[in-house]
Amino acid sequence: MAATVTQQPQKLVLLTGDSWGMLACLCTVLWHLPAVPALNRTGDPGPGPSIQKTYDLTRYLEHQLRSLAGTYLNYLGPPFNEPDFNPPRLGAETLPRATVNLDVWQNLSDKLRLTQNYEAYSHLLCYLRGLNRQAATAELRRSLAHFCTSLQGLLGSIAGVMAALGYPLPQPLPGTEPTWSPDPAHSDFLQKMDDFWLLKELQTWLWRSAKDFNRLKKKMQPPAAAVTLRLEAHGF
Amino acid sequence: MGARSSGAESMEPRALLLTQKPEPMALFAFFQTILLLVSLSLRTCQSEVLSEPLPLTPESLDVSINSAQRCLHLQWRVHSLAYHQELKMVFQIEISRINTSNVIWVDYYSTTVKWNQVLHWSWESELPLECATHFVRIRSRVDDARVPEPRFWSNWSSWKEVNEQNSLGHKASSVFPVDKLVEEGSNVTICYISRSHQNNVSCYLDGVRMHVEQLDPNVSAFHVNNVAFVRETGTNIFCEMDPKDDAGTVLFVSKVLEEPKDFSCETQDFKTLHCTWDPGSDTSLVRKQPYQSYTLFESFSGEKRLCEHKNWCDWQIAQDSQEMYNFTLVAENYLRKRSVNILFNLTHRVRPMTPKVFFKNISATNATMTWRVHSTGNHRTLLCQIELHGEGKVIQQHNASIKVNGEYLLSELEPDTQYMARVHCGDANHFWKWSEWSGENFTTLEAAPSEAPDVWRDVKSELGNRTVTLFWKPLSKSHANGKIRFYNVIVENLDKPSELEPVPIPAPANHTKLALDQCSYRIHVRANNSVGTSPASVIVISGDPGNQVEEERVNVTADGFSLSWKPQSGDVTGYVVEWCDRPQDGSCDLQWENLGPNTTSTVISSDAFRPGVRYNFRIYGISTKRIAYLLEQKTGYSQELAPLVNPQVVMSNLTSHSFALSWKDYPTETQRSFIRGYHVYLKPKEGQCHPGFEKAALSDNSVCCKYKIDKPEQKTFVVENLQPESIYEFFVTPFTSVGEGPLDAFTKVTTPDEHSHLLIRIILPTVFCVVLIMIVCYLNSQWMKEKCYPDIPDPYKSSVLSLIKSKENPHLTIMSVKDCIPDAIEVINKPEGSKIQFSGTRNSLTETEITKPAYLYLLPAEKNYSGPGPCICFENFTYNQAASNSGSCGHVPVPPTAPSQRGLLTSLENLLKALEKNYMNSQGEIPAGETTLNYVSQLASPMSGDKDSLPTDPPVPALCSEYKTQMAIPLGLASPPLSENSSVSSVTLLDQGDHHH
Repeated sequence: MAATVTQQPQKLVLLTGDSWGMLACLCTVLWHLPAVPALNRTGDPGPGPSIQKTYDLTRYLEHQLRSLAGTYLNYLGPPFNEPDFNPPRLGAETLPRATVNLDVWQNLSDKLRLTQNYEAYSHLLCYLRGLNRQAATAELRRSLAHFCTSLQGLLGSIAGVMAALGYPLPQPLPGTEPTWSPDPAHSDFLQKMDDFWLLKELQTWLWRSAKDFNRLKKKMQPPAAAVTLRLEAHGF
Repeated sequence: MGARSSGAESMEPRALLLTQKPEPMALFAFFQTILLLVSLSLRTCQSEVLSEPLPLTPESLDVSINSAQRCLHLQWRVHSLAYHQELKMVFQIEISRINTSNVIWVDYYSTTVKWNQVLHWSWESELPLECATHFVRIRSRVDDARVPEPRFWSNWSSWKEVNEQNSLGHKASSVFPVDKLVEEGSNVTICYISRSHQNNVSCYLDGVRMHVEQLDPNVSAFHVNNVAFVRETGTNIFCEMDPKDDAGTVLFVSKVLEEPKDFSCETQDFKTLHCTWDPGSDTSLVRKQPYQSYTLFESFSGEKRLCEHKNWCDWQIAQDSQEMYNFTLVAENYLRKRSVNILFNLTHRVRPMTPKVFFKNISATNATMTWRVHSTGNHRTLLCQIELHGEGKVIQQHNASIKVNGEYLLSELEPDTQYMARVHCGDANHFWKWSEWSGENFTTLEAAPSEAPDVWRDVKSELGNRTVTLFWKPLSKSHANGKIRFYNVIVENLDKPSELEPVPIPAPANHTKLALDQCSYRIHVRANNSVGTSPASVIVISGDPGNQVEEERVNVTADGFSLSWKPQSGDVTGYVVEWCDRPQDGSCDLQWENLGPNTTSTVISSDAFRPGVRYNFRIYGISTKRIAYLLEQKTGYSQELAPLVNPQVVMSNLTSHSFALSWKDYPTETQRSFIRGYHVYLKPKEGQCHPGFEKAALSDNSVCCKYKIDKPEQKTFVVENLQPESIYEFFVTPFTSVGEGPLDAFTKVTTPDEHSHLLIRIILPTVFCVVLIMIVCYLNSQWMKEKCYPDIPDPYKSSVLSLIKSKENPHLTIMSVKDCIPDAIEVINKPEGSKIQFSGTRNSLTETEITKPAYLYLLPAEKNYSGPGPCICFENFTYNQAASNSGSCGHVPVPPTAPSQRGLLTSLENLLKALEKNYMNSQGEIPAGETTLNYVSQLASPMSGDKDSLPTDPPVPALCSEYKTQMAIPLGLASPPLSENSSVSSVTLLDQGDHHH
């Protein structure tokens, strides 16, 4: 059996309120904002800064999702908020899978790698918006809306990288806009299971994207003069 | 679980119809009955004979399922009935679960059956029908009185199987019921169905493991009683087993829909009815049940309105002026409906609109409030309530009856004060509710201050000038009547009338300093605001410095310092008590309190009072001339504290048996309490305390002796009865009502030797005397020299000689000493004697004049020599101690028999010698037989002596000079020890008569 590149987290970690981590993440993002024009001074720096920015954004979203998932799974109630809950992936077949064979992942072309990321987040964003519409509490809706905005930013960032590398954006087929609406055939329990899997898949995708963009970053490493200082945010 | 049926309840027994219809149908019916009975009897006979089932067996049994309601619906017919035949029958229904032998329900259903009638019966299962296969069968029996006994049960119908498990579809496992909506408090049975046989089934209700009962190898179930609402997303039920085959469901538990509370409707404008209610609990569930709906239904008009809001709804009033309204509010969710009803007359539900308020003619004490209430239709009379608020409290309340516009004069207001006035109105005829309050703030105008400021003074005299500090308290708001801008101070010299000029002092100053001379002054202080000035406060500073009074201690109570004073007769207009709030830091912060003329006591309290601080209170009487004179002075502590320091003790007068201690007083300001005395602690030498001391334990648990000095003014103490050459430790501390000073280190003192002071007593005076004598002697050295050792006259230089030589005999010469041949040698043995003997010796001098002294007589060789010729006789004269002991160079009476003896003279040296000897021999310790050398001094010239002091001197020829050879005589040559008398013989006397005659 081939190893998979994304060692799937066994459970969704429900750590919430890590304000220091959040602060460090924000600092990281803010740190890189001035770094981009600094690189531009030496002429066209290529897609490097965009990739770095995208990588940082995935790390920030990864942290943000931990807090959001904790809130949402508590809202669903046990067993979904239990740390060792690992249900079968029954009704979430339409969700884009982040897990991929290691060999396949390593042999992915840059274009395909970016395209898969873009398509995955496009779908996940739609599903997440559907989730937001069904949320009962205002606070949860606010959190979901905030996360959707961030995810939209990530999508734009990926699009930026693709544009910088000269890759076209994948065009969705007309009428295939993914939606996350309750399936009448689904029991409510399965609906909750789908919600659970949406959050879990999103987390896995963010984890995989960090690896993707790290790999791309190394590949697109500009000359030493253009290397920026970067703060790594650890411990989330 | 239960059963219900429908069908033949309305049928009536045919026999009853027969009795009601006798003609002509009665005949027909009678035959029909006979026919029926015959027919039945025949069939009975046949069954008995043939043992065949009765023909009235239920047939065409059909079972349908309502999964959501967990209901089985049965329907069947009884085909054997004749046309239009009706018969009362009983049906027995059996329901089995899982297999036919497992009968779980038996029920009987009685009804009148018609020909060709379809009979219905329902049964609600406790267990979801998807959980297990159910089997149903039925049989019947005629239960009609027209049919004679015995009546037999028909045969059972065949088992009808009801299997809803097919709905499982392709899923491996499921939990039922799916997404069930129940109310709080319901009982629910849950089952878990799997494709494979179940092992180790665990089911959790919202994370709580439940007790599961296995119905068959593939089905488990558990029962939940009285389910509770957990969250709006439902209660999750999750089951798992071995092998892994998880499944779950959501049980939606809704809160019980409540009846709307406080439902009422009212109008403000006769156009709209505004209905409100309290909806109670929210019964909504996410993705299952929306928020409960509210519908308003009016029965008179038959109109209905679905309300958009949870707790209110507006109802448009029709133009035809409907007066009566009967509203029903229906609350509804998926599980139940609740309704509430009100019936009212519209005119009795009028709540006026919120008035609009204005103010006009605002003065210092009055304001006019006006308001307007928008039309409520037909110019109804309104009752309005007016409230005046000041400082957050209602201070005035008024009622007014108006139509549309209202006006009210608010009086008795305080100047320069902010008020809030508000009004609300209600229908006067059919009061329903007050309108909303409508209010506005307003501020009255300022007025002149109504009271004189409270003024006091502090007078300090320095070098003939006085510095008067005037203090005043800010006027209270009720007296200031506005913002005080400044204070006018007028100083009027009472001794020298002059022009008065006010000095304005801007607010918020509360004091001013005035430099005054020794004259009397009257000071006026007035407070001014933008409108006017206050009455004057007058205080007189007298030229008289005032009297001094003795300070007394003040009583302290829980409320503060309790001061009282003697009432003053006469012209006292009041009293003032003055004190400093902060005497400890020197800032004083002068405070005062004015009291009436009849008051003779007060209690002073202040938040500024601190424990351990001495506060001085001065009580002044105020005369009619506004002069303050000091009456009493009191001092005290709000709380006494133990002293923090001990006095600096000085030790003096240390003797071998005592020493004295002294210390200085504390400054009053630093005292933390009244000192009641002092404790002198002395560490005893041998565990015994001295008289007056008592044993006491110190705070460090050591034991020592304590002497209590009760008088705080006593600041000396003599510690007596001590032992010489001993070490004592002492320590002095003050004591107060709350304890004594801190335990300090003891001071050590060592008592001296007992004799040392004696030595000092003797030696010091002696040395002093000697030094005095030496000084005296030195100062009178010339006199001493003349008296004690005058210069020896040189015969060659004598004037007498020249005189004789010139006048009588020019051949006269002076004989040389060496030319003289001594004719007698006197050897004297130094006698032994004491000081006491000297006086005796001295007395014996006169005696020796009579008695012959024992001396060695050497007669001159030329015995016959005599004659008046010039005779110069040199005689040795020996001093003795008796002579020196005369204390001076005084003259010793010389016996007439010794004319040559010119007197006893001693030298200062000899005197000192004698003194020294005297001291040395004061104890008479001179060893017997000791001999000394006696020096024989040269005799001074008689001319150098004091002639007057020698009245007993015999007349000596002027030319006769005597000289005695000075000789040292070895004591070894002395004669044997002499008796006391013989010692006297140390004075050598030359019997002149014997010599010369």
